Amino acid sequence: MADRAEPRTFYRSPPTARAGLAVPAATGLLSWLTTVDHKRIGILYGVSSLTFFLIGGIEALIIRLQLVRPHAGIVSAETFNALFTMHGTTMVFLAIMPLNSAFFNYIIPLMIGARDVAFPRLNALSFWIFLGGGLFLNASWLVGAPPDGGWFGYANLTTLQFSPGLSIDFWMLSIQILGASSIIAAINFIVTILNMRPPGMTLMRMPLFVWMSLVTQFLIVLAFPPVTVGLIFLMFDRFFGTHFFDVAAGGDLHLWQHLFWIFGHPEVYILILPAFGIVSEVLPTFSRKPLFGAQIMIYSGVLIGFFGFNVWSHHMFAAGMGPVADAAFSIATMIIAIPTGVKIFNWLATMWRGTLRPTVAFHYAAGLVALFTIGGLSGIMHSSPPVDLLQTDTYFVVAHLHYVLIGGSLFGILAGAYYWWPKMTGRLLDERLGRLQFWMMFAGFNIAFFPQHFLGVAGMPRRIYTYGAGTGWTAWSAVSTVGAFIIGLGVLLFLVNAWRSLRHGAIAAGDPWDGRTLEWRTSSPPPAHDFDEVPPVYGRDSFWIEKYGDTRGRKPTPRPAQPDPHGIHLPAPSHWPVVIALGIGLAAVGALTSLGLVLIGVAVLVVGAFAFALEHHDNPAHVSQEGRLGIDHRKLAMWVFLGSECFLFGTLIATYMAYKGRSVVGPLPHEILNIPVTTLSTFDLLMSSLLMVLALAAVQRGDRRQARLWLAGTALFGIIFLGFQAYEFTAFVHEGLTLQTNLFGSTFFTLTGFHGGHVTLGVIWLLTLLVLHLRGRVGPRDALKVEIAGLYWHFVDVVWILIFTLVYLVP
Amino acid sequence: MNEQTARALDEHDASAAEHHPTMRTYVIVAAILTAVTGLEFGVIYVRRLAPILFPLLLTLSAGKFALVVMFYMHLRYDSRVLTFLFVAPLVLATVLAIAITTLTGEFLVFRR
Repeated sequence: MADRAEPRTFYRSPPTARAGLAVPAATGLLSWLTTVDHKRIGILYGVSSLTFFLIGGIEALIIRLQLVRPHAGIVSAETFNALFTMHGTTMVFLAIMPLNSAFFNYIIPLMIGARDVAFPRLNALSFWIFLGGGLFLNASWLVGAPPDGGWFGYANLTTLQFSPGLSIDFWMLSIQILGASSIIAAINFIVTILNMRPPGMTLMRMPLFVWMSLVTQFLIVLAFPPVTVGLIFLMFDRFFGTHFFDVAAGGDLHLWQHLFWIFGHPEVYILILPAFGIVSEVLPTFSRKPLFGAQIMIYSGVLIGFFGFNVWSHHMFAAGMGPVADAAFSIATMIIAIPTGVKIFNWLATMWRGTLRPTVAFHYAAGLVALFTIGGLSGIMHSSPPVDLLQTDTYFVVAHLHYVLIGGSLFGILAGAYYWWPKMTGRLLDERLGRLQFWMMFAGFNIAFFPQHFLGVAGMPRRIYTYGAGTGWTAWSAVSTVGAFIIGLGVLLFLVNAWRSLRHGAIAAGDPWDGRTLEWRTSSPPPAHDFDEVPPVYGRDSFWIEKYGDTRGRKPTPRPAQPDPHGIHLPAPSHWPVVIALGIGLAAVGALTSLGLVLIGVAVLVVGAFAFALEHHDNPAHVSQEGRLGIDHRKLAMWVFLGSECFLFGTLIATYMAYKGRSVVGPLPHEILNIPVTTLSTFDLLMSSLLMVLALAAVQRGDRRQARLWLAGTALFGIIFLGFQAYEFTAFVHEGLTLQTNLFGSTFFTLTGFHGGHVTLGVIWLLTLLVLHLRGRVGPRDALKVEIAGLYWHFVDVVWILIFTLVYLVP
Repeated sequence: MNEQTARALDEHDASAAEHHPTMRTYVIVAAILTAVTGLEFGVIYVRRLAPILFPLLLTLSAGKFALVVMFYMHLRYDSRVLTFLFVAPLVLATVLAIAITTLTGEFLVFRR
């Protein structure tokens, strides 16, 4: 990193603290469109997700109005279906997740003493794709086709036969777009957290919020691919007539449920773990005590994340999986209560005998502990299959999930909002107004959702748009509606408080709460470069130890903050993230309207992606991005991405295997697969991997001729493999096997086609490197770029090794 | 993970990163991959191997997979952090794939 030249944006004399939003000197719409500053992107996430939260909240209030009394007639059954679908989808993907992202973006770099995230432009790209996905989903209201199949989109309800029209198309495309945004952001934050910590900040010294965020990012990276594959199957069924969810053709509707809930249950922890992290910061600060059992809290969070992947089928007890599967998932679900319980007790122990300061943030954090416990207890009831069978699809489940996601996630987010608002804006929120808001939210929430337990036990099904007067559900439904409107008033009060704070709020000091972690060590709001110097780290609560010493009051030997040996390097703005997001949006709109628009969108996307990738290709400041682990950020990111790809291809291969032998018409695999030819193409791809390592070695030693030869050879072998695949596909079509013929055709073409798509991307990547090399723009210092392309290429190779065995060779 | 382990994870083994396979190793790996692919092709035609064909093919395939990942992707020589970042999801994905195949299909023993 020592050879870095001066970047475009370079601060020699850092600006000091100033009031107002934390933004660099540039202002105006363009500066926001092109920003790559993690703090600004955090604000963009916060504002846009708050807007979506309000939309989702209005949808909830209409739902409650419709249910306030029997036969209310506020909305039709069709509109009601759309309302609960959009409410759930909006709150999960467009409100709670991105509200957490606002904190990830703004706070994590500050907490680990970094100047930005590992990939600032990628960070901007995540945001703009997210915004595009959110706008695309809500555009469905404007064209009169809002999704109406539930946030879970169960097939075959969502297939073309039962849901014609555009509504489900809007839903499935937007979830795919939002998933891409989430995965990109998650990879970025994993690299940021692992590789950008300052000296002295070991993993176990990281603040709890950073730890829980790290676990969350891994969950995102690993949980989204299965549902993405499920959505692709659904899309292919709807757009191209495949048979993944066609029972008559041998399809199994359980497949959708598995793919959805393999994502859906970790998603609960994706929503809740950041809130756990926030509470684990807020409670120690306002109890003036270290977090009780911090290490155990970390292990518990990791265990929750791990077990989160092993309990998905408890959402399917009513689906008839059989006693063995039911028992396994029941036990796993009960086990997950242990680390969760540890967290609850440790939070209580943190407050126990602490010097409590009942700020609004503390109120919300304590509120989470109480309300999440209630949600957790009803969750344990659901872990028992016989009990769950009685509660499935009743309002009892609605009560449970809202206790977890409002009492848990939202209360945690509000705790974080009150806690970090002064850091973000340089102004304090009004505590008196905040306390009033808390009690309105707390009371309103319990009035709205506790009675739903009673309604569930009384047998009221969820998702019904009305009910009869003689059911006995009227009184509690009315109470629940009143509670929902009190929550609405509470949210309104928060907006008033925020508005007043921005206009007239008291100016906040850098450390208004006497905080414990590094973000309080800089001004409020922080300067564009976050810290003038790399902050010293003395322990987990580093800033507290620096101020007051450790638990025994022993102050550490002061270590001066280290000047950054590379100067203060801030990334330059970029407009390409917006262009790429625009391309994706156009392609999505085109998918619902015209092929021409799809092609235009793809063209914009491709141009944007190339420009994005090459924007800093020749910038010497980007040559080396080695971080804390001694690994380059980009290499680390590629390995995380490959881990995510394991889930993508694992799901595709598993589906092929699950559907093997279930086609009801031919041609069947043994009648059509040409094993000798495929053995040749497999050999070709394996040898391309040899050429790839030879190319990398040549680039590393600066042998230009050999580098060009082997790069071209690798690409050529990739093209030959694609030629084999084109030959095979053409032959199959001639023999009567297409995507639409049978389940084998659907699964085979989708799996091998996806792999072929990856090979195609790899070939394009290699040819781009080759062209750059021919122009003299790839030298030994760029070897890492070739190495990363190579990692991708080899991964495509190893995936084929498995496909060759499982699809072609295994009888 | 205790403090010591975490610290150990943090510390990058720079010397390991500097070691790369030689050209000879690359070529030997390629030869093994070719031979095993040929073997895979051959064994499917041997009737006497039918009872063990599935585990045999899986083993050969896993071996090829491991060779490419260890030598061509340099995981054998690189930081353990990278090994963890790839192998942990790989194992979890494999478990999930078996679960999907079992719960949705008829791969293992759990019949509905």
